[in-house]
Amino acid sequence: MNRKQATKIGLILASPLLIYFLIFFIYPIFLLFRYAFTNTAGSFSLSNFVYMSKDPILYSSLYNTLYYFIGSVAVQFSGGFLAAIVLNSYTGRLKNTFRMILYIPLTISPIVIALIWLLIFNPTYGPIDYILRTPINWLGSLNLAMPTIIVANGWEYIPFVFLIIYAGLQAVPKQYYEAASIDGMNRLQTFRYITMPSITPILVVAFLLNSIGILQGFTLVYVLTNGGPGFSTYILSFYIYKVAFAYFNLHYAAALSLLFIFIIGAFVYAMLKLTSVERYLGLKRENAGDE
Amino acid sequence: MKKLNILLLLLLIIFSLISLFPIYWTIITALKVNSEIFTTVPIFFPVKITLSNFYTPGQTFGAVSQTAFGSFPWLLNSAVIALLSALIGTFLIGAPAAYALTRYLKNVWLGRTVLLMMMIPEAALIIPFYIIIIKVNLINTWWGLTLVYLSFTAPLSTWLLMGFFSDLPRSVEEAASIDGLSAYKIFYKIAMPMIMPGIMVSIILNFINSWNEFLYALVLTYTPFPTGAQTVPLFLSDFIVIEKSFAWGGLAAAGVIVIIPTIIIGIYAQKYLVKGWTMGAVKE
Repeated sequence: MNRKQATKIGLILASPLLIYFLIFFIYPIFLLFRYAFTNTAGSFSLSNFVYMSKDPILYSSLYNTLYYFIGSVAVQFSGGFLAAIVLNSYTGRLKNTFRMILYIPLTISPIVIALIWLLIFNPTYGPIDYILRTPINWLGSLNLAMPTIIVANGWEYIPFVFLIIYAGLQAVPKQYYEAASIDGMNRLQTFRYITMPSITPILVVAFLLNSIGILQGFTLVYVLTNGGPGFSTYILSFYIYKVAFAYFNLHYAAALSLLFIFIIGAFVYAMLKLTSVERYLGLKRENAGDE
Repeated sequence: MKKLNILLLLLLIIFSLISLFPIYWTIITALKVNSEIFTTVPIFFPVKITLSNFYTPGQTFGAVSQTAFGSFPWLLNSAVIALLSALIGTFLIGAPAAYALTRYLKNVWLGRTVLLMMMIPEAALIIPFYIIIIKVNLINTWWGLTLVYLSFTAPLSTWLLMGFFSDLPRSVEEAASIDGLSAYKIFYKIAMPMIMPGIMVSIILNFINSWNEFLYALVLTYTPFPTGAQTVPLFLSDFIVIEKSFAWGGLAAAGVIVIIPTIIIGIYAQKYLVKGWTMGAVKE
């Protein structure tokens, strides 16, 4: 089979995806540009971007998004990493049962997570405040609303980081550890010189996938705080939704969407440039042309 | 050594409690009578168990009321849409594209494109999707929401199945090709059946993601079956808004109904799910 034929077969097999891509990704992005660069009368205008540059709610949304992102990454990575190390070091039966118990939150719908935490964090009847012996208005307080959302979201997504890192730890060849113990390395040295280098690619991939998941966040804010109190839990995704479907300004919302895509694009681009994530994901081979 | 292991076990038990307690709390709230829900000293082990939060005689079917019973029209929409988007995303789009990308079209940009499709957040695309779905008159319909859900099921399937196809030895396909089978027949008669576990991973993960999706359903649907395509997360969010301070038992019962299917899948399809979530990040 020659190259031309192969390309033709490939294009035919990939055509459903390519057609979908054109209609539901390329065209939408074109629509975003068209809406963002026009005013409600339909003529070309930069007013959306001028407004964007001095929109205080946008600035606080960006700040909140950064806060939410850094907080979530910290909670989810430390939690997931700790759980993975503990389960991997544990030498008993029931390892798979523990793994299953620890990943169950990941199967639960975000809307139910919101419901669960409404019940649990209730200041009057909730178990948390009872255990702490003080009624705390978790979601209604300026300082606590965002941390509460970060914790509730963390409860669902710590398992994701845990699963990936745990799988990575399991994949480290046993011989490495044997060699380390023959060389007389202690536990800490083994972790530093054997475990960490072996799972670095997994950590990078976990970080990328986890970040994307975190930036998808919307449901918890929508249900738990509706952006409040004040604008303290407005994150970018929620602000876009509000502008489009509560203030019905599709043009400005389109401009905000472009900004969102630009931010994510810059983040992913930086990840690709700064790390070898593409190689880890199998997108790029170690040596070009080894096929 | 032994001491350390006991400490680890203790930690694992604590982690398990953190993982399970919120679910346990929801389930017991769903089974409690109202007088045991609204107590200043929370009851951790209820004695009076009731099913009245799930169903009380005389409840209106298909409406947000005080029990979970009304949720069935929403559940039906969720099931249909989740199945459609899982199956179409896997069989019609993901599998052939993944096969093409691993065997015929070796271009790093195509892989990157798939990755890009997975990375754009829902909120960034909801406005154009809304405009498109209105334009083609599919708002509040099964097909409207399914088409939009393909925006995450199709790239995820493609991505997952690319991993499975590239692990497949080529010898069988080469033999079939010498026997005169066409490339398309080799794809669906030889290669597809050999990656059945991958197909399962893809269907299960797509189903869960679609079942749990919220933002698109919020914007693109507004009435339950039979007049519309509103899905069960929307039933729950309306329920929360209306009954936030009152029918906690019914709310919790509705929550339990929503999570039962995905938890059952989570337990029985453990092997597939873990493979899917780790997304080929870990080469075994």
